[in-house]
Amino acid sequence: MRKRKASSIVLFVLGILFMLPVFILVMNSFKTYDEVIKSFVTLPESLYLGNFAEAARLMNYGVAVRNSLFVTICTVIVCTVISFFASFGISHLKGKKQTGFYLLFSLGQIIPFHTIMIALSVMMTNLNMNNSLITLIILYSGFHCAFGIFTYFGFLKTVPLSLEEAATIDGCGTLRLIWQIYFPLVLPTTVTIVVLFFLWTWNDFLMPSILISDSALRTITVNMYIFKGSTQSNWNLFMAALVISIIPIVIVYLFTQRYITSGITAGAVKQ
Amino acid sequence: MKKKTIIYLLCILPALCFYSFALLIPLFFGTIPYSTYDWNLMSGIKNFTGLGNYIEILSDTDFFRTLLFTVKVGVITVVLSNLLAFILAYFLSKSDVRCKSVSRAFFFIPNIISSVLVAFIWYVMFAWVLPSLAQTFNIEWLKSISWFGETSHATFTIIVVSVWQSLGFSLLIYIAGFQTIPSELIEAAEMDGCTGLKSITKVQVPLLMSTITINLFISIAGAFKAFDIPFALTDGGPFGTTQTIALNIYQEAFIRYRMGMGSAKSVVLFLLVAIVTIVQLRITSKKEVEY
Repeated sequence: MRKRKASSIVLFVLGILFMLPVFILVMNSFKTYDEVIKSFVTLPESLYLGNFAEAARLMNYGVAVRNSLFVTICTVIVCTVISFFASFGISHLKGKKQTGFYLLFSLGQIIPFHTIMIALSVMMTNLNMNNSLITLIILYSGFHCAFGIFTYFGFLKTVPLSLEEAATIDGCGTLRLIWQIYFPLVLPTTVTIVVLFFLWTWNDFLMPSILISDSALRTITVNMYIFKGSTQSNWNLFMAALVISIIPIVIVYLFTQRYITSGITAGAVKQ
Repeated sequence: MKKKTIIYLLCILPALCFYSFALLIPLFFGTIPYSTYDWNLMSGIKNFTGLGNYIEILSDTDFFRTLLFTVKVGVITVVLSNLLAFILAYFLSKSDVRCKSVSRAFFFIPNIISSVLVAFIWYVMFAWVLPSLAQTFNIEWLKSISWFGETSHATFTIIVVSVWQSLGFSLLIYIAGFQTIPSELIEAAEMDGCTGLKSITKVQVPLLMSTITINLFISIAGAFKAFDIPFALTDGGPFGTTQTIALNIYQEAFIRYRMGMGSAKSVVLFLLVAIVTIVQLRITSKKEVEY
């Protein structure tokens, strides 16, 4: 009994210590410039909110959040749909065709983004496709669908063929088969895929930093990176900007904690 | 061809288009051919050199230093974060721990924040908070440390931040692993006098071998691709001594505009990651304990 209580408290305290850098950052983001240059380790004199408003205005926060949301949501939808249909197709093909497509898409799982980033930057510039959020969505979808197909395929393999045969005998067409039989079946797998696609796209830095130079099209992470370079010694603004850049994903996490946890676990085990 | 087969192929088509556009075409018509050119975007020179770039890489001490640095930081980070995550998971997976989900969330949240932002959180700590702390409490040794000015200290910051961020992921997988061990099994081992540390090393670790291997290899593959944290934290400094392979490729291409050389290096990175993945598949298909 006492042992249980002690270990619960120790774990909780360790957790708080682990998050200490975040708490210190949030604490300091409430300080005015004069306060912050005096000390980083004292509590703020008041809950000064001016930093957040000023940082949000200077970094065009609203636009960046909107861009990130647009790219992330579109990528998640497009990529999940194409991954599902492709794995449905591949799982129904036979013999060499199936193996061929499977191996082709598996290749995408081991190619690091850094291997194609130079080619992408040259090609997108030549095609006049840089500086476009749509390009980001297309590239993310193409890049992540390898994982989506791999994961869906792993599940669809286990669905007994008799289920589909029974439905077909009852006069169920391919589209209805997909919608009424397969869609409900793959729902848990879809949660995994959606969670991972969301996090990967939202948190990505390198692709938009290479392909986007128009300041109105920056995503939230790139925006913060650029802001760091331009704030100079306005430490209070830098910290406030950092806090508001982190907030959206933490809010998403708090509301979808269960799905994110199970999604990441399932995704890792399936790799 | 049967009508059904055509429908299945049509299902694959959209993904194939996106995939080819984003990955296959850039790889086979971009990276690989580019790597055979001596190509500078600034001066406009573009000459075919065949394997020239690859031969140059062999004598490029900078590249080998970044490779060594990547492996060094990778190994330390992977070992530390897996070890800490394993220990934490052992305690956090016990069913009688209170506030479990809150404690877990504390350890896990850094993992869902973008690596660049994570690096900035720690930039605040190392650049401002720690010096301020040293000032306030007059701690001499802490005052004298220049976190980003010396290679050893800059390396230390990168490792701390990488462990901080990756720990949550490993923790999650290990917790899931611990939960798959049937409690009867541990109780049975206890009856036979196998408790505490012995129970962990002799019973639980062997049972979790597949979880451990999965975790290690995901971490290792990730370590080879390390970019965001060193880029945002030290930017390879001081004097390029904390540059990872990916950062070296980035600088080659986007700072020095040597596109051919950058591409050749990125092919080498691809081969390294591919080897790790193949070894992973070989090993994970073997080492599993049945119960």
